[in-house]
Amino acid sequence: MESEFTQHLKQGEFRIPVCTKCGKKAWPPSSTCSECYSRTALKKVSNRGVLVEFATSHLRGHEGVFGIVQMDGFRLVGSFESADLSEGMDVRMIECGMKDGTPYYLFAPEK
Amino acid sequence: MPRVAIASASSSQFTKESGKSIFELACEPSIKVLLESGIGKQVDAVLVSTCATDQYSSTIVSEMLGIKPKVSHRVDNLCNSGTNAIASAYSLIASGLCESALVVGVEKATSAGNRLVWDLTRGSFNFPVHWASMFARAHMRRYGTTEEQMAQVSVKNHKNAAKNPNALFRKPVSLHDVMNSKKIADPIKLLDCSAPCDGASAVLLFSEKKAKKTEEPVWINGIGQQTNGASFASAGDLTELDTARKAAKEAYSMAGIKPSQVDIAELHDAFTILEIIAYEDVGFAPRGKGGRFVDQDEIAINTRGGILGCGHPVGATGVAQVTEVALQLQGRAGKRQVGGCRTGIVHNLAAAGSSATVMVLGV
Repeated sequence: MESEFTQHLKQGEFRIPVCTKCGKKAWPPSSTCSECYSRTALKKVSNRGVLVEFATSHLRGHEGVFGIVQMDGFRLVGSFESADLSEGMDVRMIECGMKDGTPYYLFAPEK
Repeated sequence: MPRVAIASASSSQFTKESGKSIFELACEPSIKVLLESGIGKQVDAVLVSTCATDQYSSTIVSEMLGIKPKVSHRVDNLCNSGTNAIASAYSLIASGLCESALVVGVEKATSAGNRLVWDLTRGSFNFPVHWASMFARAHMRRYGTTEEQMAQVSVKNHKNAAKNPNALFRKPVSLHDVMNSKKIADPIKLLDCSAPCDGASAVLLFSEKKAKKTEEPVWINGIGQQTNGASFASAGDLTELDTARKAAKEAYSMAGIKPSQVDIAELHDAFTILEIIAYEDVGFAPRGKGGRFVDQDEIAINTRGGILGCGHPVGATGVAQVTEVALQLQGRAGKRQVGGCRTGIVHNLAAAGSSATVMVLGV
């Protein structure tokens, strides 16, 4: 399932495994639901979330603005193109993919 | 339940690059504790704590040390592998399966297992400093914790490390040095961060019966552990660590003590902000007041120099922390000896605090 998740991610599609029985989102991606142990299947989920915290990374090869985003039922660390942000603001994933074997989730503030 | 004691503890010199294999590194402090305790090679269990992926490592180390143990295995739980291995050794002895156990934590700065790669929820910002910066920002925002307070943690621990011959960093740093060190991920700077290194630490655990025949047993009076998940996505509130709070509560309860009775503590300072959060999580400071607690001198904290000063040989760190508290309680900490300590704790975290161990030691 993890590879299926990254396969879609490579094509710029954000689909995450959701339990086929109880509907719980399996995040980080997993083929089995941690709640009821049923199978999961990839589903398109809302790209909207709320920014929890953000900071700027100066680490070589990992430069940029990043932040924790609370999505509907799960959290991830997204990247941003500018630091003109504030905690609690509504954000939206505008692009995602795989770069050098690592996923990226690019967000922008909701207009 | 039968009691379990640390009979002997030792750390090797932590270095950037030792030029030694993990097996050679592991043997150094192990030989010291075996000789010092007088047990020789009659050890019932050998547990190796490491994130290095070398297979059969505890059994290789056993053979190199001439030990034929009943139980031999490797323990990995990232940065709190060490205290997990000690908890396992404790259980082997408390259950009556073993009378003695050697726990050796060992790491190379280059160990393949030092960094968690499984967690895709962090996107491209997947270094420990990234989650640490989120914790720091949250604590600053909610409680007014300052960058200077975080820097003071680094100053204190580097000062302590200067008295520790085994520490990686033996040069004191000033507040100015920390504040002006390279920015890594705002507000975290280079000197707010620990560094991976090579190193090994070993403790020898005895059953109560066996320990009573030794001169300076240090009793493991309480152990609390909690794991909430492996991913950063599983973290809840960023200003406290639920795992550490639960582990501390359980450890104090098992030992029958209160935080106010602690004389000495090793707190997991892989980043300065973690020590500040730890003050609150283990009950030394009220919630939100950790930043102001840095100045206190009631409790001796990270006397060996902590992870910031000693370096972070991931699989060895928890054992090194326990070693320091044991040596202090035995009165054998040399130049950094703290007078009159009877009760100590060890607080050891892994991966953004997603799992935690707290131990209470006493003499």
